[in-house]
Amino acid sequence: MSTMDEKLNELVERDRDHECPGFGPDRVCVRIVAVAKLPSRFGDFRVVAFWNNRDQKDHLAIVHGDVVGAQEVPTRVHSECLTGDVLGSLRCDCRDQLETALMRIGGLERGVVLYLRQEGRGIGLANKIRAYALQDRGLDTVEANLALGFRDDERDYAVAAHMLASLGLGSIQLMTNNPDKVSQLEKFGVKVASRLPHLLPPNPHNRFYLETKALRSGHYIDFTGTPHLQEQSDPVLVEGMNNK
Amino acid sequence: MALDTIVVGAGIAGLACAGGLRRAGRTVVVLERARRVGGRCATRSFEGQPVDVGPMFFHGHEPAFLEALGAVAGVTVLEGWPHRVEGSGPPCQPGALEGFNRRFSFAEGLNAFATHLAAGLDIRHQTTVARIRAADAGFEVTAADGTVFRARDLVLALALEETRALLETLPDAPGLAGVRAMLGMFFSLPSLTVIAGYPIDGPAPPWDLLYPDQSEVLQLIAHDSAKRRDPRFLTLVCQARPRWSRARLDQPMVDWSPELVEAAGAVLGPWALRPLWTFPHRWRHARVDRSCELAGPVHVTLDRGQRLGLAGDVFAPGGGVQAAWLSGSRLTAALLLKERA
Repeated sequence: MSTMDEKLNELVERDRDHECPGFGPDRVCVRIVAVAKLPSRFGDFRVVAFWNNRDQKDHLAIVHGDVVGAQEVPTRVHSECLTGDVLGSLRCDCRDQLETALMRIGGLERGVVLYLRQEGRGIGLANKIRAYALQDRGLDTVEANLALGFRDDERDYAVAAHMLASLGLGSIQLMTNNPDKVSQLEKFGVKVASRLPHLLPPNPHNRFYLETKALRSGHYIDFTGTPHLQEQSDPVLVEGMNNK
Repeated sequence: MALDTIVVGAGIAGLACAGGLRRAGRTVVVLERARRVGGRCATRSFEGQPVDVGPMFFHGHEPAFLEALGAVAGVTVLEGWPHRVEGSGPPCQPGALEGFNRRFSFAEGLNAFATHLAAGLDIRHQTTVARIRAADAGFEVTAADGTVFRARDLVLALALEETRALLETLPDAPGLAGVRAMLGMFFSLPSLTVIAGYPIDGPAPPWDLLYPDQSEVLQLIAHDSAKRRDPRFLTLVCQARPRWSRARLDQPMVDWSPELVEAAGAVLGPWALRPLWTFPHRWRHARVDRSCELAGPVHVTLDRGQRLGLAGDVFAPGGGVQAAWLSGSRLTAALLLKERA
């Protein structure tokens, strides 16, 4: 067993009876409960499972290299999107964003992808499909989407901050296109040394970002005429895109 | 006199919302179709003995909700009721009986919570709302008897289908189309219910709540008199499953009521076939299904700045009394927050 595995397993031991006042308005508290090797097509990773005191959704950290106690660790926070991540949906860019993060971090000395199981706050998969159905009918309303349970960013940041603290990261380089995400995480005590833009390599599915500048109610319309949903809490940037 | 807010429906959601607004200094009138408050959180009295007709017990884990229930004065709290639960059928809300939820009942009936929430509120009973319309910088609500109420903001806190029907009387406005279409994808489940009274010295079931294993008819039988001090009757509340109920929803009570007692007899034995008295109740919109939950209440601002809010058990996760109360109090918070902004 490498020193890195030992370090991570010590965190499992340490967290056995971890209790704290919790992070954020929901006072969410997480514990590292299991660590295992996760070789993947993107590189040599370890997967860290987190229990939390709020719901039955165990969050994950996908870790590459020695991150415990390290400084300026490249970090991506990804929110679960079953339709995009797993099914390869083109209604959003989640899979591109996740793969790009894993691929990039897999090629670096170290890094972390936090995978937050927050699909619509846990009641959201069916309601997300309902939101898609509303879009299919040409409706795109903020009120309806809010009620259907679209992402609760503040909750995401609180969980992410606790997970990073549990992993003992000294400071991070946050991979995001959303400067607000940096300040939100800092609010929860995360030391963000710098921000790395999260640029997606162009591919046939996201090429429309380069070709259209038109936004309809904040959404890009893809080649099929479907509004593209921003499911992650930062805007999509494709390499070569002329943004701002 | 123009009010700040009209709340339609004095169920748990409407009362929670109206109470919060009133405490924040807003002028509020609650319009209620029935003679009582509480909506589905209903308790009836039979020769002085309370019997719960809707939910059989409270369950929840949200601190604010439990605190609100803890504030009800003058009741005997039956902590942990139902103590004895039998049968492998599903409870009305999955998770209701699980460890993370506290559960309890009141010896005086669950409706005491509604009476408590209603204290100090201006509630107009037996006032059925016929239509609503946006007028000037507010809303105009017309009751079935022709009385007109005016307020800047309007809250609809009815069963989902009833809220939807009232929304239909409102002319189209930006933001409303999406909300209407969204609500069209949700529905509630009916439950035909019969309360049966038996001699107190006869056989009594050895449980507080039974979820029959394989009944196509019965969702649950509650041993209601187990909640009461010195009951005169053994009382059972039989609530029917959604599909069976839906098929008989528009039939006369005399048709389905004996069928429900027969189903109880089949489960409990012949003694249950001969109650001293029965009382049927038709819950057209008894509860929401786990697949029909929204993350929070809806509020839309119309073109003249008037605000429309929607609350009820569909507008918060988890279902039941907790969801209803949460949706109402969260709507209040949202309306007050937006006001300040």
